[in-house]
Amino acid sequence: MKILTCPLNGPRNISEFTYGGEFKRMPDPARCSDLEWADYVFNSDNAAGVVVEWWLHNASSYWFLAERHTVSDQVLRTFDPKEVFDRRIDFAAPATIPEIAG
Amino acid sequence: MSSLKAEDFIERSPLYPLQQGARLATLAHSSIVARYGEKEEHALLQRCALIDLSNLPRVGFRGSDSAAYLQARGYCLPEQPNQAVRQQDGCLVARLSQSEYLLLGSLHDLGARIAVEESRWEQDDQRNYLLPRQDSHAWLQLTGNRSAEVMAKLCGVDLRARAFASGAVAQTSAARINVIVINAGSQALPALQILCDRASVQYFWGALLDAMDEFGGGPVGIDALLD
Repeated sequence: MKILTCPLNGPRNISEFTYGGEFKRMPDPARCSDLEWADYVFNSDNAAGVVVEWWLHNASSYWFLAERHTVSDQVLRTFDPKEVFDRRIDFAAPATIPEIAG
Repeated sequence: MSSLKAEDFIERSPLYPLQQGARLATLAHSSIVARYGEKEEHALLQRCALIDLSNLPRVGFRGSDSAAYLQARGYCLPEQPNQAVRQQDGCLVARLSQSEYLLLGSLHDLGARIAVEESRWEQDDQRNYLLPRQDSHAWLQLTGNRSAEVMAKLCGVDLRARAFASGAVAQTSAARINVIVINAGSQALPALQILCDRASVQYFWGALLDAMDEFGGGPVGIDALLD
């Protein structure tokens, strides 16, 4: 059994975790283009090398981030998302509601 | 007391169909098993016993203001996540993350203090949110000096006393379901409080009893705890 170290709960069997996808910075939905938004929602980099990923510890419903090498599958570091999300972000409402085509 | 039936109460333990024939005691708006038979249950309690506390009140709070709210309500809080502190009146406060707390009622007041906490909470501008736990989780207590050996058959975390001291909390997987395990034992009586998904508790109860079998363990009622 592989062991993953949860920043909150410590080392645990990998079966206690769920993969949550690549970590990506969310563009401001009110200001970004449709292309940028679609890229954020649908596309993954799938890079060979060190990536940052979301992982969930199921038993405590705790989401955290992990640096993992996708070639060797070695987890280099796991950390609390507060390291990245260190301040509150309020998105400005769009000035006008765009017309929805179709 | 022996004429009480679980069916007389709207609120029942999810394990009540497995507790037919047991002698029940009243617990506010529900019942709890007082004893399973005429057999002496104290010795079992010390060796390896399982108690269903699912009808005892419990509740959670989460938010950046939860710690201040609970301290103002007179609770002594654990300093770190995954620790629990026994309160003077016997109820237990476990800290599950930086800002989440789980309150477990005491048998001494039949959980009355914790039931009040759930009913008096109101949403205001504080960041302190109620997490009802009565219907999401079932609550079992595994007691006796073989508890860690029983759990070793079901769970990957080392729950022996030297690695998992009194007051420690583990949120993990046991018998392949998510559980919160709290070491609430004392010198006199080793005890693990275990909370699991309420809908899965009939399975989990059976899995625990099966694991306890080789140690001569079995279910006991609360009479053995209170005497």
